Amino acid sequence: MISIDNVSFSYDLGKTEVLRNISLEIPEKKVTSFIGPSGCGKSTLLRCLNRMNDLVETSRVTTGEIRIMGQDINGKDVDAIELRKHIGMVFQKYNPFPKSIYDNVAYGLRIQGIKNKKKLDEAVEASLRGAALWDEVKDRLKDSALGLSGGQQQRLCIARTMAVQPKIILMDEPCSALDPIATAKVEELITELREDYTIVIVTHSMQQASRISDRTAFFYLGELIEYEDTETIFQNPGVKRTEDYISGRFG
Amino acid sequence: MINGLPVLWNKGFSFVSQKPQTLSVLEIEKGSYTVPTENFDNMLLNNPDELAIGNLEDFEKSFAYKTFKIDNGSIIGEGYLKEIEKENKGYYLRFAKRDFATKSGFSVATDKKFNIKKEELAIIQQHDPGLIKGEITEKVINLNKKKVTIKAGEYDLSKNGHDALIPTELVFQMKQSFPDDEPEKINTTIIPKDQTITVTSAIYNQAFDEDERGTIPVAEEVAIPYTVTFNQFTLPAAKYKVSAETLKVLSNYGIKHLHNPMLGSIVVNDDDDEKVTLNEKQFKRLVNDNPKLILSQIEDSQQNVSYTKFDLQKDSEIQLNFSDFLIFKKDKNFSPSSEKTHSYSGGGILGPIIGTACLVIICMTIALFTGIAAATYLNEYARKGGFTRIIRLAMLNLAGVPSIVFGLFGLGLFVMIAPVFSATPNVESKFHVPIVALGSAPDLRTLESEGIEIVDSTLSTTQAVETANLVGAKKFYNGWYYISFQGWGTCMLAGGFTLAIMVLPVIITSCEESLKAVPMGFREAAMALGATKWQSIRTAVLPYAFPGILTASILGITRVAGETAPIMFTAAAAEKSDLPWQGIHSSGFSAFVDFLQQSVQALPYHIYTVAGRIPQSEYTQPMQYGSVLVFMIIVFMLSAVSIYLRIKIRNRIKW
Repeated sequence: MISIDNVSFSYDLGKTEVLRNISLEIPEKKVTSFIGPSGCGKSTLLRCLNRMNDLVETSRVTTGEIRIMGQDINGKDVDAIELRKHIGMVFQKYNPFPKSIYDNVAYGLRIQGIKNKKKLDEAVEASLRGAALWDEVKDRLKDSALGLSGGQQQRLCIARTMAVQPKIILMDEPCSALDPIATAKVEELITELREDYTIVIVTHSMQQASRISDRTAFFYLGELIEYEDTETIFQNPGVKRTEDYISGRFG
Repeated sequence: MINGLPVLWNKGFSFVSQKPQTLSVLEIEKGSYTVPTENFDNMLLNNPDELAIGNLEDFEKSFAYKTFKIDNGSIIGEGYLKEIEKENKGYYLRFAKRDFATKSGFSVATDKKFNIKKEELAIIQQHDPGLIKGEITEKVINLNKKKVTIKAGEYDLSKNGHDALIPTELVFQMKQSFPDDEPEKINTTIIPKDQTITVTSAIYNQAFDEDERGTIPVAEEVAIPYTVTFNQFTLPAAKYKVSAETLKVLSNYGIKHLHNPMLGSIVVNDDDDEKVTLNEKQFKRLVNDNPKLILSQIEDSQQNVSYTKFDLQKDSEIQLNFSDFLIFKKDKNFSPSSEKTHSYSGGGILGPIIGTACLVIICMTIALFTGIAAATYLNEYARKGGFTRIIRLAMLNLAGVPSIVFGLFGLGLFVMIAPVFSATPNVESKFHVPIVALGSAPDLRTLESEGIEIVDSTLSTTQAVETANLVGAKKFYNGWYYISFQGWGTCMLAGGFTLAIMVLPVIITSCEESLKAVPMGFREAAMALGATKWQSIRTAVLPYAFPGILTASILGITRVAGETAPIMFTAAAAEKSDLPWQGIHSSGFSAFVDFLQQSVQALPYHIYTVAGRIPQSEYTQPMQYGSVLVFMIIVFMLSAVSIYLRIKIRNRIKW
């Protein structure tokens, strides 16, 4: 699904590289998690996948290629806007717009120019159901999204992402701002979503990675140390440093 | 400010609902007077506690009016048309033709004797042979001329004497000039050498009468006989119709009419179906004096006006707004024994308030549009680097520039050289850039009132300008549309732009702050959902920055409303009787342009005028204090609104 081939990345036009020679294949309709200590480049790599790093003007992929469904996403003929419609993203700090719940979910469709009320209604309901939020909010769709609890807001953000029907959902520490119960709900949701979406998740919680992901990649100081099935990496890591990190000896 | 309170208390709401006026201070003898109740009430407002008034009696008077429509093909004298337009606000006739052939009417109320010169009689007899039916007698009148000799020296001279001497050959030099508002003043004049000049007796009486102060003593005078032969005849009381030439002559001898014999009558050709109203007396005179008038749909109507009769129980000094004074004068008993006027001291300050509001609206529209655009560019699009640093530095500098400099800048750019799109460009424009040959010729009335010269369309622009210059025209028309760099003139638009440039740094800075306060997450979320950069800014950034922008712009308004210097040269008029939307005769888009291209009164400038530019007296002071108080109240209110909004918005929006 996603193949990352010898990618190096720099935020300052190549002076210093935050990612060095990363190569990995992310399988379709599986959950892949990126783990590693802070500053190891896992979030940066995630943001490379939907070219969110374009927002930083001086950032460059210096070597290598990222191919999604066979196409080089940094190619000249690829429109980042179009790309992002296919690759959704959920952020660390839940960030619903200060609008109604309905408007939040419909946002992605509206900016694509869809005005048909019926179509929007259907899409909103489907997305909220998909994000397991429908039953909680169906009576107050017109209320401000900011009135929801943190976990609900994060699931709303997931629903908002799902509304534009992406193939891939990138999640950047989606549970780091949530309490354990809300985290459990989001994790449950992720497990359900894997049937329809390819999910890449960045997490600081080793338990979370082991609970929800099929494949796990461990990064350290901008390099990919190990990339294996989750079971293998947690029970029988091939590299010493992975083992140290997982067992909590550093990080 | 404390001194302003009694002003507001006494004048009440009328202070902010009336236009500024000249105040007349009159000495009135005791007696019984009758005036419309409205004006009576105004008098009470102006004289809160000094008048001894008794025997009040209210009654209604009814006035007869005629409503009618002037049909096409009518020929009407210019003054009559102006009278109709004055009585019917909004009626404005665009005419395309004038007419000399039609005879104009006038009436003579009582038998009138004329003494006219021989040549003038010849004109009358040539054009209207049948006019003078009675006997014509010749009479020789001796109009003495005098040859006077004046010695060199310094003498006192009154304004009257000065005015009389100007057309003569006398060489003299005034030490001071005469101010317009002090006609009684006597100044010193210098006669550089001994001179002998010949003057008529009228001038002699004004300037050389020896007894009085203010005239020049004469060293030697010789009377020169100068006789003129006059023809004497009588016009009996009746209605007359005469040609324009005859009317021109008779006008010099006190015939009352409203025709304009120099320019001719007006031919009505108007597609509007508008009806007009005149009172009975004016209507009678209109029909009487315009024989070729075709009226239709004539209807009678009555209007009741409430009048008040009152006794003034002792001689007193009363203050009246000038417009009230004009109405009071219609009462025949009402003859003040002395009359002094104080400009801007009567009425209220409606005009300046409205003008300031208009300026603020125009300014904020421009400033917010450019300010938000600039802030969005700087905060969202521009790369951090040398260019933005220069822009920011420029903005900082701009914020520190004294406001009078903005005023002069606005004068130079907007008032004098800003481009105008026009078919009738000014002759004195800096450049003329012709665009298309699609101009439609202005109607005769516009041509006359604006001094437009129609030039041959085969001439080049330079030649056209020269031609128009030769005949002394202000504008020219040759069938082309021009972009003419002639400036917008002193007008609201120029003032609005000047003020906008002045507040722009403040607006940009605060808009940028508001944009920065919107969390990065909103932009990222929108982008991640496939929004383009502009979409994300429009839907996920600007709406949430808006409350901050609003607060900033209200603060901007208080600053703009208070500025005097930038509008002094660009927009403000000291005196203007119409409110901005009154007196506009065009329609559609050009009405909007005309609306913007007029000068206005503005509150801070009005305060400056009443406090610093007019002769001060006890009567001008209430206006000063009142204006300042109202102005402070407005500014306080705006500030309070902005504080309230800020608190409310801060409580409401959280993320």
